[in-house]
Amino acid sequence: MGNLRCGIEIHVQLLTKSKIFCSCPTSGSEEPNSRTCEICTGFPGSKPVLNKEALHQAIKVALALNCKIAKTTFFSRKSYFYPDLPKSFQITQYEVPIGSKGKFENIGITRLHLEEDPGALIHKGATCLIDYNRSGIPLIEIVTEPDFKSPNEVRLFLRKLITILSYLNVYSKKNEATMKADANISTTGERVEIKNVTGLKEIEKALEYEAVRQEKEPAKVKETRRWDSEKGSTSLMRTKESEEDYGFITEPDLPKIEISRELVSLIKSEIPELSLDKTSRFQKDYKLKKEDAEILSSEKKLADIFEEVAKKINPDLAAKWLVRDLIKILHYNKTTIDELNLDTKHVTELLDLFQQNKITDNTVKEVLIQLIKKPFSPREYIEKNKLLIVSESKDLEKICKDVIKENSTAAEDYKKGNEKSIHFLTGQVMRKTKGTADPKIVEKILKKLIK
Amino acid sequence: MIIQHYLKDVKKGNISIKKTVKSILREAKTLNRKYNCFNVISEDLALELSEAQERNSKGRLAGLPISIKDCICVKNVESRAGSLILKDYKPPFNATIIQKLIDEGAIIIGKTSQDEFGFGGFSTNTDNIPKNPFDLDTSCGGSSGGSACFTQLTKNPHASISESTGGSIANPSSFCGVASLTPTYGLVSRYGLIDYANSLDKIGVMTKTTQEINPILDIIAGKDEKDSTSLSIKRNSDNKVKKIAIIKEAFEIENKEIKDLILSNIKDYDVISLPLNKKYSIPTYYIIAMSEASTNLAKYCGLRYGATLPLKGNFDTFFSKVRSEYFQKESKRRIILGTFARMSGFRDAYYLKAMKVRTLLINEYKKAFKKYDILISPTMPILPPKFSEINKLTPLQNYQMDALTVGPNLAGLPHTSVPTGFIGKFPVGTMLISNHLDEEKLLNFGEQIENRD
Ligand SMILES: [Zn+2]
Repeated sequence: MGNLRCGIEIHVQLLTKSKIFCSCPTSGSEEPNSRTCEICTGFPGSKPVLNKEALHQAIKVALALNCKIAKTTFFSRKSYFYPDLPKSFQITQYEVPIGSKGKFENIGITRLHLEEDPGALIHKGATCLIDYNRSGIPLIEIVTEPDFKSPNEVRLFLRKLITILSYLNVYSKKNEATMKADANISTTGERVEIKNVTGLKEIEKALEYEAVRQEKEPAKVKETRRWDSEKGSTSLMRTKESEEDYGFITEPDLPKIEISRELVSLIKSEIPELSLDKTSRFQKDYKLKKEDAEILSSEKKLADIFEEVAKKINPDLAAKWLVRDLIKILHYNKTTIDELNLDTKHVTELLDLFQQNKITDNTVKEVLIQLIKKPFSPREYIEKNKLLIVSESKDLEKICKDVIKENSTAAEDYKKGNEKSIHFLTGQVMRKTKGTADPKIVEKILKKLIK
Repeated sequence: MIIQHYLKDVKKGNISIKKTVKSILREAKTLNRKYNCFNVISEDLALELSEAQERNSKGRLAGLPISIKDCICVKNVESRAGSLILKDYKPPFNATIIQKLIDEGAIIIGKTSQDEFGFGGFSTNTDNIPKNPFDLDTSCGGSSGGSACFTQLTKNPHASISESTGGSIANPSSFCGVASLTPTYGLVSRYGLIDYANSLDKIGVMTKTTQEINPILDIIAGKDEKDSTSLSIKRNSDNKVKKIAIIKEAFEIENKEIKDLILSNIKDYDVISLPLNKKYSIPTYYIIAMSEASTNLAKYCGLRYGATLPLKGNFDTFFSKVRSEYFQKESKRRIILGTFARMSGFRDAYYLKAMKVRTLLINEYKKAFKKYDILISPTMPILPPKFSEINKLTPLQNYQMDALTVGPNLAGLPHTSVPTGFIGKFPVGTMLISNHLDEEKLLNFGEQIENRD
């Protein structure tokens, strides 16, 4: 696949409260057509009014992808007939996109523009119903240069893109499954466009299929193909000669948009430190390993928890627990950090006890599992459940004496030189202390008592 | 009785609103049988509104009967823009100006007949063709034909709200002998106006005399958050007219009688030439208007509202069937031409070029207004034609009839058509054009030259 070249076009729903051209909410009731009005259903005489929040979010993403921001831009009508498109044209941007000529992860960003989402078709047996709740939700379309050299590169790029979008707070990871993409891909033949692939995994699958297919049958003319996710293959939609013509005209109901320098710098100032910068800062400031720093900065919430915890806890220790154990527990519970209701104070409290050698590794893990289910004070929980390490106290000595008494044969065996017996006795003590004792200390006490 | 006197009498309690409304409804029904000036007479709404006003009359237009061009949405009253594809469509919301009028106590009496979606200059491209008040075999002009017709015929206090894209207010008001104002583009909200060509559409006013326009304009003008193209600046209050000029090319028309009548009515004028407008305004107007119209009409496909057919076959076939069945011939022509003008390969040569030429035409006017307050032209180059004559016109000859009105419409300039006397039994209108937002100058000067026989 040495000759593979690929560019993608991604459609991402923004996270505004209301739709792009009307005041209907973007989320809420799922009852079909309950979040609609005369504007997002295209009734005669209704007119669009641009939601400034959508514009600002689009500018924010364009800036984060290092795009040039247009000084003046405007909307256009893209005409085509489809039942989910209420006005039979989509309000989008054509000549002058909000952002252009950007670069992200070494991939050129051709353009970034703002547009409206159409409604959704719901197929029910022989009939088809239309739900316009989605109609008018703001979308950004990001178009890349054909800079990708493998489907895997596309996947990594999209992962990083999603991270950035969540950092900017313009995107919900819940939408990952609905992320739509088109792709241009060519190997040795002409360029082939794959339309309407939904979901991150599907995008990679479609590209991989197409890369292999084109190696065997290079395209002789430019063509557009459809991805069938059930069959896992693409099929021909049309060739270049029958390309669609959208008859773009300027949207006459929306005036030109002037994007002032002041607005751009204001939006710039709202952009939080992004993951790449965070990774290098974590390596520098906290002396973390690169892999740990990367994982921590892949999720803004995780990075924030880490920094808060690291104020009191040794950064290495904090990183170890967050990167290794917290993430493992989250995976096991099939939940994400975004959905998590975790109080940083509680994590700090827990790790602080560990740092002071008051609890064991096992206890930290156990409490962490509980903490992701509901918030509580780890200190109180540990005290109540007697999970503090039983130190070199009389208590521990007493337990050891009891164990020797109960297992006199094993004690005798040790005296005779059977080293294994001491491990057995230690295990019995650990069981009685519910794992709160330090096994090394237990061993020491046992040896002393038996002699 | 002029509107201002009626409103005063209502305030004093000298006149019963209900009586006036009942009288105008009766009159409308009678006239409609003969002249087809209404698509709908909204008797229930009118009575309901007059009932409320009779009990507690308030607002600056308390009790004034107003007719509305069919293309402006009135909640729960059939609003179909003269088209069968919107038959029985009752909007779930009021246009912004309708709400404003109702809030000020106006009484909505019905929807006036028009060319389908405003496509025409004679109100003949529709199923309900209005007839000229002075001759039943003759056109009212268009596309706001019904509004002009009823404004001329009624004996009651009344104003009509109409709409112009390329001359649809001035043209019929000239052919029917009434006064009208087409305001600056953006002065009046278009929210709730069923679009013809959004960058050109303007809602305006028709009354019997020029002096009656202002009270209505005062209500409907103003910024509307629901229409992003509505202007937040107010119109100029200065109404002094110092210098006027006649447009040279506009008086190069064949009909000498029209020319002479208009010139005999004005004095102390200069002559100005607007050669670009003469040459390019018609093609520029038709390319832009049709391009926009063809996108606006795409939403009518039998799916969400208006006329429909039994669902059969795939959606493409279904949409085509509905559209073939219910659009009139002229709408089909404009959809095809407009779609062609914006297709890739032709877009540069037609749509984009027209957009550029439009700027040149605006600049030509702007230059003229540095020197003159008002530019003068006949409203129409001909007297109202008979229906039999209209039938013989080719589409191109038909479009040429807009020669004098498309210029100010393309440039978004305010213009009035002022009744200027008669030739034979037919009225003639003088068109006055001013700079953007100089409506006060137009209305002031219009009153001065208006023929009041
Ligand atoms: Zn809506």
